[in-house]
Amino acid sequence: MADSLSPECTPLKHKYDSCFNEWFEGYLEPAIAASATQPEREAYSRQKAAEFETKCGKIWKEYKTCVHDSLKQKGLDPLIQQAREENPLKEPPAGQSTPSDRV
Amino acid sequence: MHFFSQVYNYNHPWSHVVIGMWHKYPNPKCSHVISIDVLDRSVDPKTGIIRTERILGCKQKAPGWIVKLFGGSEDAFVREISFIDPRNQRASISSVNMSLSQFATCVEQIEYSPASHDCTAFTQTAEIQARLGIWRSAADGLERWLVQRFEQNAHLGKLGFTDVLRRLWEERQQLQSVAA
Repeated sequence: MADSLSPECTPLKHKYDSCFNEWFEGYLEPAIAASATQPEREAYSRQKAAEFETKCGKIWKEYKTCVHDSLKQKGLDPLIQQAREENPLKEPPAGQSTPSDRV
Repeated sequence: MHFFSQVYNYNHPWSHVVIGMWHKYPNPKCSHVISIDVLDRSVDPKTGIIRTERILGCKQKAPGWIVKLFGGSEDAFVREISFIDPRNQRASISSVNMSLSQFATCVEQIEYSPASHDCTAFTQTAEIQARLGIWRSAADGLERWLVQRFEQNAHLGKLGFTDVLRRLWEERQQLQSVAA
């Protein structure tokens, strides 16, 4: 696992990464299974999103606070703000094939 | 403006590549990436798409004239936004430099999509452009350096990720066969 830009955040970051990776690996395969109907998929996504919050929410908050403080100290805040304004990237890029196009 | 693109197939199923994405660094082949931080992450309860915003810290010595003209240090930061869409088996990753961004931008786009059940297509494109209004020959020089650096890192990134995927899934296969 990669380190944080701030050594004091690295232990929290590693804990958070482990938590996410474990959750993610359990999430992915069932989410790929295309047989489910739209309501079933939505129910699954909602349930797993809630599970992620329950499992990793606490460590996420601790890690996030640590990183935000470090970014401020290093004066990186304005760079991030500017990058977000120039490219919000809130939605996935468009123009891709849909699953029905694929074999 | 310079364009770069490469297409490559990883011999792993899409889900393995996407799991491997989070294990790519630290990587001895990509030693210029020294830190990664997650700034934001959300799971869309409707679509199941995971969006992650990360900051990658890179260390790479810039030529002296670039440091003199444009300032900056060895530490450079890149903002990366990824979307993982399990339903459509699509992962897209956009990266933009934050450091030196007042002089030049390097916008990179990566896609992972299934090529077959055990093979994943990787597409990488980048646009590198010095901003208008800076001295032309300096802008050209800066662009050239960024392109060189990008191409080198793109090559190493591919090799490095190949190693990570092989190691990750070989290890897990061994664990499984031991457990069986």
